[in-house]
Amino acid sequence: MRMADADRVTALILFTLGLAMLAGGWTMDRLEIRRIHPASIPGLVPMILGGCLALCAALLWRSASRAKASSESEPFLGGGSWSRLVTTAGICLVYALILVGWLPFFWATALFVTAFALIFSWPSEPDLRPRIRAALGAAGLGVAIAFGTSVLFQEMFLVRLP
Amino acid sequence: MSALIDLGGAFGELLTPTMLFHAAWATLLGILIGSLPGLTATMGVALMTTLTYSFDSATAILILICTYVGAIYGGSRSAILLNIPGTPASAATSLDGYPLAKAGRVGYAMGLATAGSALGTLVGILMLVMIAPPLAEAALNFGSFEFFWLAVFGIVISGQLTAGTSPLKGYIAGILGLMVAMIGSEGIHAHVRFAFEIPDLYGGIALIPAMVGAFGFSEILTAMWNKRGELAARKDKSDRTIPRVIEVWRFKFTIARSGVIGTLVGIIPGVGEDIGAWASYAAARRSSRKPEEFGRGSHEGLIAAETGNSAVVPGSLIPAITLAVPGSASSAVLIAALFIHGIRPGPLIMIEQPHFVSLISGMLIIATLFMAFYGLTLTRLFVQVLRVPYAYLMPVVFVLCVIGTYALSQRIFDIWVMVGFGVIGFLLRQMKYPMAPLVLGIILGDLLDKSLRRGLTLSDGDLTPFFTRPVSAAFVLLIALSILLNFALVRRILTFPFRRLIRQRDV
Repeated sequence: MRMADADRVTALILFTLGLAMLAGGWTMDRLEIRRIHPASIPGLVPMILGGCLALCAALLWRSASRAKASSESEPFLGGGSWSRLVTTAGICLVYALILVGWLPFFWATALFVTAFALIFSWPSEPDLRPRIRAALGAAGLGVAIAFGTSVLFQEMFLVRLP
Repeated sequence: MSALIDLGGAFGELLTPTMLFHAAWATLLGILIGSLPGLTATMGVALMTTLTYSFDSATAILILICTYVGAIYGGSRSAILLNIPGTPASAATSLDGYPLAKAGRVGYAMGLATAGSALGTLVGILMLVMIAPPLAEAALNFGSFEFFWLAVFGIVISGQLTAGTSPLKGYIAGILGLMVAMIGSEGIHAHVRFAFEIPDLYGGIALIPAMVGAFGFSEILTAMWNKRGELAARKDKSDRTIPRVIEVWRFKFTIARSGVIGTLVGIIPGVGEDIGAWASYAAARRSSRKPEEFGRGSHEGLIAAETGNSAVVPGSLIPAITLAVPGSASSAVLIAALFIHGIRPGPLIMIEQPHFVSLISGMLIIATLFMAFYGLTLTRLFVQVLRVPYAYLMPVVFVLCVIGTYALSQRIFDIWVMVGFGVIGFLLRQMKYPMAPLVLGIILGDLLDKSLRRGLTLSDGDLTPFFTRPVSAAFVLLIALSILLNFALVRRILTFPFRRLIRQRDV
């Protein structure tokens, strides 16, 4: 996907968001029952922001269309490693959205750090020795970080961990 | 004279073994955070905010200031060694630092960068002491009309200057930030907006989870997405890491000019250290006797970039303290931290806490001294730190992102906010949307909303005072100019007299 295409998709999303904000501000309770000044209605600024965003989105669409026509657009999400990105995002989301709150914090953290370190430091060569070293290193780091953060936040900052 | 007495009093409070201990480790940690590509100063300050909830206010702010100063300086380490700026602020540093390192003069380049950073911060501190008190006094005369335009000016100028390719994307990021600030109970009638009957949204989106997501999680994703660089030189052929006084003295005008430029850039809302470095670098190149050396290991270029980005730190604190409008993304986190610790930045700061500017200046001086000490003595350690694999570093950072945001209110919801902002932040970055206006929008949204509606209530719905009061009119003019200058036709018209003058001179 080229940047110009990504910009056009974003412009559509932002335009919709802007209109939704404008409508949300317009239909928002004007608190007449409290007899507030009509110029201080809660929906005033959301309406202005919605209008501004819709306008900017329209301008973005126009400039993206021009860039696409002149084929000057650079690639969107190019030059990086998709596998590393997807793995990182996946493992982080599983930890933050599922493990934390479901498992005790210590075990969730130990599991996450160990898995992350193991996946990204796993040796490519088939020898057993470096693989054992990588596994032990990852597990050691996982337990150390889980213990360290638990003690720091629970005992020193008196935070009730999830 | 009274400023000096206040500064002496501040040092009396700060020069205790406990405070010096905290300053020492926080500065070192800041340098380490800044030196690691993928960890930025804003991320460091945001994470440290979550780690200093339980400290008293002076200690917590000292730790955050030391982390901030250290991290901005630390970015130069990887810029020089890897040609990858540790923080965006050090992008200009890599232009001349890396060629010097490749030529085997790593130690000397680091020493020069250290001298530039230290002197830049000192110039900024001097201007902070001189500008902050009168600015706070002037801001006491600001009413709702002026504060409304100040907020708009912040968003427009930040969007304009931080967007790489198109200011439009900067404006959009700013508007999105303002829209995020509209969520939850509003500040005049306590009416809940856009909460969709989700109780966690009634209080709005908290700044710290949003910033940890936008600058923490999104940095992790960006770092894992990108490839790492190679160390420039394994062996250092520098004869010394501490630059001779005479060598630094040669660049006295460059240092003074870059320090002033950096501080002034810092004062502009939401612009930040990278722009300070680039502006100083460009000015140094224009006035240099050897402009052809810039980009090829110029000592002057290196010192200008480092002086410029470091001077932004005290500069960005000037509007942050006196107007509660952050000069950079990191100072936005500092504002949030000040509120957490019961300090109310804004025009009343000089009345409520008249010695606060001196206290901050004292903290900055201590941070600068520690920074210079570490920078000149721990060169080898920084080289080793850069070899820490991401596989071990990034999960630790993410754990701190998660637990740090949770610790603020002990709500799982804040972790979701952090994750959401991280993913959106990553995508927006890939599409070249700057993050600084987004954050500035979240901070200034409440001020903009309340000031507009209060102003309209005071004027009974009349818009005239928004345009006729002198300060308001000046802001309107600046905002209009900033936006109109994006159009080639307006630029041509405005620069026409100057082009004519130049033509006449050339003839």
